[in-house]
Amino acid sequence: MKRLTLLAAAVLYCAFASAQGWPTKPVRLICPYPGGPVDLSSRVVAQKLQEALGQPVVVELRPGAGGVIAAEAVAKAAPDGYTLLMGAIATHAINPSLMPNLPYDAIRDFRHIALVVQVPNVLIVNNDLPARSVAELVALAKSKPGRLDFGSGSTGSTGHLAGELFKQMSGTFMVHIPYRSSAPAVLDLLSGRLHLMFDNLASSLPNIKAGKVRALAVTTRRRTDFLPELPTLDESGLKGFDMTTWWGIMAPAKTPPEVVSRLSAEIQKALDMPDTKERLKAMGSETPAVRTPEAFSAFVESEKALYARLVKVSGAKPD
Amino acid sequence: MDMTLFSNLALGFGVALTPINLMYCLVGVILGTLIGVLPGIGPVATIAMLLPVTFSLSPITALIMLAGIYYGAQYGGSTSAILVNLPGESSSVVTCLDGYQMARQGRAGVALATAAIGSFFAGCVATLIVAMFAPPLAEIALKFGPSEYFSLMVLGLVAAVVLAHGSVIKAVAMVILGLLLGLVGTDVNSGVLRFAFGISELADGIGFVTVAMGLFGTAEIITNLEMKDEREVFTNKVTNMFPTKEDWKRMWKPILRGTFLGSALGILPGGGALLASFGAYTLEKKVSKYGHEFGKGAIEGVAAPEAANNAGAQTSFIPLLTLGIPSNAVMALMIGAMMIQGIAPGPQVMTEKPQLFWGMIASMWVGNLMLVILNLPMIGMWIKLLTVPYRILFPSILVFMAIGVYSLSNNPFDVLLMMLFGLLGYIFVKLECEPAPLLLGFILGPLMEENLRRAMLLSRGDPIVFFTKPISAGFLIASILLLVILLLPNIRKKREEAFVEE
Repeated sequence: MKRLTLLAAAVLYCAFASAQGWPTKPVRLICPYPGGPVDLSSRVVAQKLQEALGQPVVVELRPGAGGVIAAEAVAKAAPDGYTLLMGAIATHAINPSLMPNLPYDAIRDFRHIALVVQVPNVLIVNNDLPARSVAELVALAKSKPGRLDFGSGSTGSTGHLAGELFKQMSGTFMVHIPYRSSAPAVLDLLSGRLHLMFDNLASSLPNIKAGKVRALAVTTRRRTDFLPELPTLDESGLKGFDMTTWWGIMAPAKTPPEVVSRLSAEIQKALDMPDTKERLKAMGSETPAVRTPEAFSAFVESEKALYARLVKVSGAKPD
Repeated sequence: MDMTLFSNLALGFGVALTPINLMYCLVGVILGTLIGVLPGIGPVATIAMLLPVTFSLSPITALIMLAGIYYGAQYGGSTSAILVNLPGESSSVVTCLDGYQMARQGRAGVALATAAIGSFFAGCVATLIVAMFAPPLAEIALKFGPSEYFSLMVLGLVAAVVLAHGSVIKAVAMVILGLLLGLVGTDVNSGVLRFAFGISELADGIGFVTVAMGLFGTAEIITNLEMKDEREVFTNKVTNMFPTKEDWKRMWKPILRGTFLGSALGILPGGGALLASFGAYTLEKKVSKYGHEFGKGAIEGVAAPEAANNAGAQTSFIPLLTLGIPSNAVMALMIGAMMIQGIAPGPQVMTEKPQLFWGMIASMWVGNLMLVILNLPMIGMWIKLLTVPYRILFPSILVFMAIGVYSLSNNPFDVLLMMLFGLLGYIFVKLECEPAPLLLGFILGPLMEENLRRAMLLSRGDPIVFFTKPISAGFLIASILLLVILLLPNIRKKREEAFVEE
């Protein structure tokens, strides 16, 4: 009996010590999307965290099923602060409404720690399309119902859902053409096979600046610093239109509060460093306004509610 | 060709030949060769891991190194394909067919040298093509829409069947099985899961490398083990290490044809590069007077696809550098690397950052030269590897395969799947069914379906578009002609062998 008590004490001590001395071993940051901006920004943040924490922070790629595999792995990982997730709008706001039998709960299974990147989408149209403003585009779409095509990186992507929201708010009908990723859709937009697209700001910026496509509006409520003269959809007549693509660092739900606050503090410090800012800016990100774990949690919840509505409206959910 | 090309190239070489850039180019191609040789561990994982290292480098140096990893890996991939029948990259599947047979006949050295020379020549020509014609060629990439891609894929599939040897029924069956396997995963159009059986690892489909390594590598090991110690024999009859005069005579035309076909297909970002090595092999088999030797160790069957593959790897930089469109995952990563350095890849790179654009092109040539210089002396060492007794060699190959497949998405499920495909491959060997048509169907099937449905969506359900667009119509007419050849019995008798491996 005495031995058992000792053992229990030892276990308790270890659990306590592990939270106190955290981190005493390498930390894994699981990233669901290899190669793209999510991967890149994970590495930018991991490098800074590594310097601050004095332990290696390893980015581990776990692609698959639109991020479900990575999110599930972290939801079920030990909540000891050594397994983190770069959770994103798809894993935590869209999938819960889009996918049946999701093996995790985006709110209850996670501790949302820090929003890292927020990128606007832009409404871009092929140069030959006569519409030069959102109003003209809406008029054009109304004069030719079902004749305009918009492309997106996949069914249920932000590009697709933004298009569906646009259709609903403007009372127009356009046809969604899904692609495997947004690059081939951009190619078809450049060549005029597609008429318009709601694409990620960072990847469309070079084509906009080179005059290869025309930007009509940005999907966020505020104008973007990258194209300050570009109006928002909100001010172009679609009142309340507000969508961003985002991702941020999360941990399993029961991660000790000390670990969460330490991580949050270090990530926020890293996000304020000029070189981090510059690198994230290169991905089209503006420093997020959400700066605490609590605010991030609230943000994830409101996003989840928004997309629950949008997915229903869009009919994107497969039956 | 005008003077600006020379001044541009001079500018490029000025950048590429600085000591620091030379050094990183060397680091890149060495790393690339290594990961290419190790089956499965691909350039995507390597480049992603090295990205933080590049933060402290200048943009051009970073890109030179990353590009070196990319084409170095294409280069190294042929080594394991030839020596142990392991295609680590989709592009080296075809090299397995004749390269491995050459190795079995003791001509591994010749096969490796042929691959190196073919790649080098193709790399040089393709680099020049990128330098001279990048902007106009980008226009061609824009001309290829869903209907054109669909018709191109139809031509590819028909060609595979027409040229298949042995039983046509078996070849067709394998292509169809490949198409079916390609259907596994999320349907692009509706987002519905197909044949995934609730396994989330299958939601994105079955990985090509997993299937290829199982059907070729694992199946080969099982078959070898069945034959007791016969496998060790084929190193004893090593004839010559380097190509003879006769070999040179047979390889130069295939290299030339492969280079041009590969360069052309590499420009198309929607899966053109995937077709390069398959296409070059099929073409070669059709035009070569040694067609009957294909699948039994024909040198043309190594020279042409290797040249095509490397040429395609170089020209796939055209859509990246001129349109900002990545043609594969590696290119997408390069875009990320450029963005993080504050460079937005797209139409303006050439005019706003001429040093970067031309420096990178020049470095591609320098890197190809380095690869040849590095690889030719290594051939002797690789051959020695084959003298390792098989009972020691095969467990190591298996371990490397498992590591490689695991590293694709850090998921043990893929290793299991590879083993399942290994068993399936063994059954195919016993049934005398060739896995190559299956893989072609597996690659082309999903692309074909996707482009067919997209073209139909865009035309609002009118199939006439496939014939009203000239490029698409051209491919379809060519496919019909090939089918007619297949159906004419007297020509059928002379039908040559395409995807046979003993």
